[in-house]
Amino acid sequence: MNSARHFIRLLALLAIAAAAFFKARSMVVPADFGKLGHFRASAITDAAAREPRHLGSVTCAECHSEISDPWSKGKHSVPQCENCHGPGMLHVKVVSEDSVDAYPDPIKQNKNALRPTTGIRECEWCHLKTFERPSTLKSIKSVGEHITATGGTFTPASKCTDCHNPHTTAVK
Amino acid sequence: MTTLWNKPEISRREFFEKCAEAGAKTFVFGGLVVTTANLLLAQDPEDVRARAEGAVESRLHDTGLGDVRARAEGAPKEAAKGPIYGFVVDTMKCIGCGSCVRACRDENNVPDGFCRTWVEQYTFFPNGEVIVNSPSGGADGFGEDLPSRNMPEELGQLPVRGFFVPKLCNHCINTPCIQVCPVGASYVTREGVVLIDQERCIGCGYCVQACPFGSRYINPQTNTADKCTWCYHRITKGMVPACVQACPAKARIFGSVSDPNSEISQILANNRVQVLKSYLGTNPRTRYIGLDSEVM
Repeated sequence: MNSARHFIRLLALLAIAAAAFFKARSMVVPADFGKLGHFRASAITDAAAREPRHLGSVTCAECHSEISDPWSKGKHSVPQCENCHGPGMLHVKVVSEDSVDAYPDPIKQNKNALRPTTGIRECEWCHLKTFERPSTLKSIKSVGEHITATGGTFTPASKCTDCHNPHTTAVK
Repeated sequence: MTTLWNKPEISRREFFEKCAEAGAKTFVFGGLVVTTANLLLAQDPEDVRARAEGAVESRLHDTGLGDVRARAEGAPKEAAKGPIYGFVVDTMKCIGCGSCVRACRDENNVPDGFCRTWVEQYTFFPNGEVIVNSPSGGADGFGEDLPSRNMPEELGQLPVRGFFVPKLCNHCINTPCIQVCPVGASYVTREGVVLIDQERCIGCGYCVQACPFGSRYINPQTNTADKCTWCYHRITKGMVPACVQACPAKARIFGSVSDPNSEISQILANNRVQVLKSYLGTNPRTRYIGLDSEVM
């Protein structure tokens, strides 16, 4: 009868281990894990739920038609407003809710919740001459050289926007 | 006859030996039964045909170009199931402005020093030297002077050719990164987008090492793996990824490859496209136009 006792003990231990394993598994593994594959099915809806921050120039045009109308007819109609001004989602929220207090400090300081533009850095991103850029793209070696070459006087405070309208590229 | 049950004086050692023997026999015999059953089932002609069709279907699906057969029949079978997305990077058009990198940072809250998409600057010199440069991923533009070049004066110091190559997650069909994830935090959606479940990821970094394109990083804010999602939160709302919207040169094209009339399908139909590191067999869904052999 000794062997039967061994057997029962072994089975009991196995049963407890199995029960503990399945209990632990049910606590650790989410309920919808494996529904669509080896992952948590609701992770897809989580990933899709986030709010877009870039709204596109179409959205900007809803309020700023005085800028977007000439922009859409000019040579700069392909770069989006948000390329230079930063994502517009917070700006729309701040303007429509009329409260900046809910947002962190850097945004509070910049009351319209857009990226401040310098009028020179934004232009240089595309229009500084490098060997790799296509020759069809209008580019300059440096702002100083460009101003001197076009008959102007360069000062450290000179900006591209002193002479150009950044939205249409037209010379003022 | 000595058996397990009618021999009361069986020792503990003997008992475990018998158990092991019985276990081994069950394992071997069970394996035989399963194998035989599989072989017998495979003889069923219906089953063979069904399997072959399944294989063909998955192969068509795996081209990354949508359901070719559905297109041939004129029946948008994939359209009913939802789109399968693709991405085309036209390196001939990229001007290296870095708008995509900045847009991606702002859209996805990418921490400083990391990139979900970045732009590489390739410059070729007369002595065959190639300089690949990507200062802060290209986020600040590429106006700076190039690093010093080691070449004889007589060859000339001026570059002979150069171009920009934007990079991002390739959303491979045969993903090395998903395979190595020990907790099932990396997955691919029905649309072909490779994503990370930030709640499940334990930040072990296996996937970061497995990706041959360097597309993944460990986000220091969340301590989880992170990467380009093709802006999944945007594309599921009918928008294009932030980088595609920001590109002023239209060097990035995103859309449904399962819809034969979409812009990307037309571009894929009318261009010779390549993928990065095709020899690795990861079968990327991000395709390149004008990819130079020097591009890694």
